[in-house]
Amino acid sequence: MTMFHFFNCAILTFGPHAIYYSATPLSEYDTLGTSVKAALVYLGTALVKLVCLATFLKVSENDGFDPYQELLKAVIGFIDVAGLYFALTQLTHRNISQNHKFQAVGLGWAFADSVLHRLAPLWVGARGLEFTWDFILQGLEANANLVLSISLAALGSLMWLRKNKPKTLIPIIYACAGIVATMPSITRSLSKARIGMALPEGGRLRTVHVFEYGFH
Amino acid sequence: MANSKKPGGLREMLESMYSVIALLFILVACVELCDAAAAVDVYRLIQYDMSGSPFGSRFAALNHHAASLHFPPGVDLSRTVLIIPLRELNITFVREYINQKNPLGGLLVLLPEVLSFKTGGNKQVHEKEKMKNLLAELERLLVHSNIPYPVYFAFENDEIDTVLADIKKNDLMGQPATATTGGYKFVIPTTEPKKVASPTMTNIQGWLSGLKTDGDANQLPTIAIVASYDTFGAAPALSVGSNSNGSGIVALLEIARLFSLLYSNPKTRGRYNLLFGLTSGGPYNYNGTQKWLRSFDQRLRESIDYAICLNSIGSWDNELWIHVSKPPENAYIKQIFEGLSNVAEELDLKVGLKHKKINISNPRVAWEHEQFSRLRVTAATLSELSVTPELLESTGGLFDTRQYVNETAIVRGVKLVAESLARHIYGHQGKNIQIFADESSLAVNPAYIRSWLDVLSQTPRVAPFLSKDDPFVMALKKELAGHVDEVNVQHETLEGIFTFYDSTSARLNIYQVASVTFDLLLLLVLGSYLIVLFSFLVITTRGLDDLISLFRRPPSRKLKTA
Repeated sequence: MTMFHFFNCAILTFGPHAIYYSATPLSEYDTLGTSVKAALVYLGTALVKLVCLATFLKVSENDGFDPYQELLKAVIGFIDVAGLYFALTQLTHRNISQNHKFQAVGLGWAFADSVLHRLAPLWVGARGLEFTWDFILQGLEANANLVLSISLAALGSLMWLRKNKPKTLIPIIYACAGIVATMPSITRSLSKARIGMALPEGGRLRTVHVFEYGFH
Repeated sequence: MANSKKPGGLREMLESMYSVIALLFILVACVELCDAAAAVDVYRLIQYDMSGSPFGSRFAALNHHAASLHFPPGVDLSRTVLIIPLRELNITFVREYINQKNPLGGLLVLLPEVLSFKTGGNKQVHEKEKMKNLLAELERLLVHSNIPYPVYFAFENDEIDTVLADIKKNDLMGQPATATTGGYKFVIPTTEPKKVASPTMTNIQGWLSGLKTDGDANQLPTIAIVASYDTFGAAPALSVGSNSNGSGIVALLEIARLFSLLYSNPKTRGRYNLLFGLTSGGPYNYNGTQKWLRSFDQRLRESIDYAICLNSIGSWDNELWIHVSKPPENAYIKQIFEGLSNVAEELDLKVGLKHKKINISNPRVAWEHEQFSRLRVTAATLSELSVTPELLESTGGLFDTRQYVNETAIVRGVKLVAESLARHIYGHQGKNIQIFADESSLAVNPAYIRSWLDVLSQTPRVAPFLSKDDPFVMALKKELAGHVDEVNVQHETLEGIFTFYDSTSARLNIYQVASVTFDLLLLLVLGSYLIVLFSFLVITTRGLDDLISLFRRPPSRKLKTA
């Protein structure tokens, strides 16, 4: 029964990625290589971010909201954007249209994100007898992350791959890109306000947040 | 050559990668976690056979859902654990349930935290008498019944109180266990209980030699002071027996200390040997005492003038009882009784004499002095109990904790015994001389009594579960050795009609589980979500026609082949 729950949460977390790949024309144009390369770039980006966080961030004793630290975390979030830039522009892709390129990169990016952040807690936690809502929430988060990654990749491709952009839309594009890039920080500060009110027992949600903190 | 090396090297790298991945999979599969909502220490009801008949709880492992006493009537409890706090325990309900042999998955009784010797400490107990009577009755019922499901005791704490409140809430609403309403599962992962093979009883004896002058050709007479130190109760891991017989043990140790002070100086050494005996096997018809006495040399046994056995002298107010088996008209008994009553008068307390004849053919031995009497040694038991205890009663049960013992009572008891012994040894009968006066160097030391009583109240001492070199037994031996000349330890096997089973304590894991229906429901929801997502994506990116064509492909192939 507990493997059942693990199976449920796994298909919630990783299913949409597979569905996205098979449902859209991505599968017809065989863009798997692009996705895999994007996943590897994400891995590298995550390592770089980890090192930066470890070097520059101080461990705060109290759980207070320190604006300087949050700003630093947001800046480190831009390393994400740099990684995406690298994946979109610097990698050699086969002849696939721009349209499919950003989708494939976004998909690979989101898939690597899910696997890195959510697979280990899922394997270790969801197989136990104890039931918590954490893993279902995690799966929903993975879905949201997929949308986020693909939109970020789309904005990225608009910014760097498209040569003829309409003049009026340029600032909007950059503003949207900025917001989307710092979205994790925004959600984290919002959730901190929520969690300050009611922290669920078990500590697994805490673990998930620790992972978030570590990698975003 | 360089070209041929490259694919070979690549293959090797791939192979090593495969093995690493395989190892990773194995490691990952072995990750087992304990992620319970709460984990509690629980103590199992004793399991024993008496003359082949099984008694106590016959099972140890537990893996069922939990329910409280507010369970909806008519529900099947054979796969449920009932969790009952002591204050809500209705003894008639439990008795009926057990006597009618109704099926139950398990029983967990929650004892108030004050009774715990680990965390309760010296807090005062509210409604002492009521709790004591309830616990005594519960213990009597459980120990003498054959219960075919696990019975455990635990102490209340905040975690388990919240769990219990949740369970009660669900039961009152009549809702079955679902994900959101929090069904609880109690799991105790232990193995089946096994028989304790050849349980040992360890008797400790201490010998304090009297003053032998040159004119004494024969052996000096001996006086024996005996107390049994082991206990028996419903929960063997909790049977600390502060009164039965912790009080007797500390009294014996204090008397030994006082007489060792007197005997250390040859000028004050009496003309009597003193034999101190800490015996085991008390609850089982004083089996250990019998074996100890049988091991004596005939001359030694004949030289024993009399023996005083101490049993439960920790919670009396003004009256103690001397139990004898020889008729009160017997000269020796008269002597002992008069000696004790004279001292008692001076200490402002009463001693009464109780005579109970022994029946040689009856194997039941209710008092320790009876074992002496059966070997024709004059003996008496000093106790606060006026009624003869039944088998496996007053042997240190659930209610016999530190809070129920009064150390001043023990101090007075020690004074009584020591004074009367000293008067007999030094020939001061009838004279009003206080040897162990307060404020003297021979005064009874309440701090010594208190510290040993505290130690004893934290040590469960059920004999089959004490190994040969148990640290507590060794500590007793060492303490006695500090007071007497010579200490001997005798190991015997506890044979006879009793067989014991192990597994006395365990760790209970409480999980909050979701029902199977929830998982199926979730699968259904997720399946439909993924299907909807798939169709949505196909429609938006490839068009509706493509979606329909996904389902129309097989018929078109058939047409082609035809």
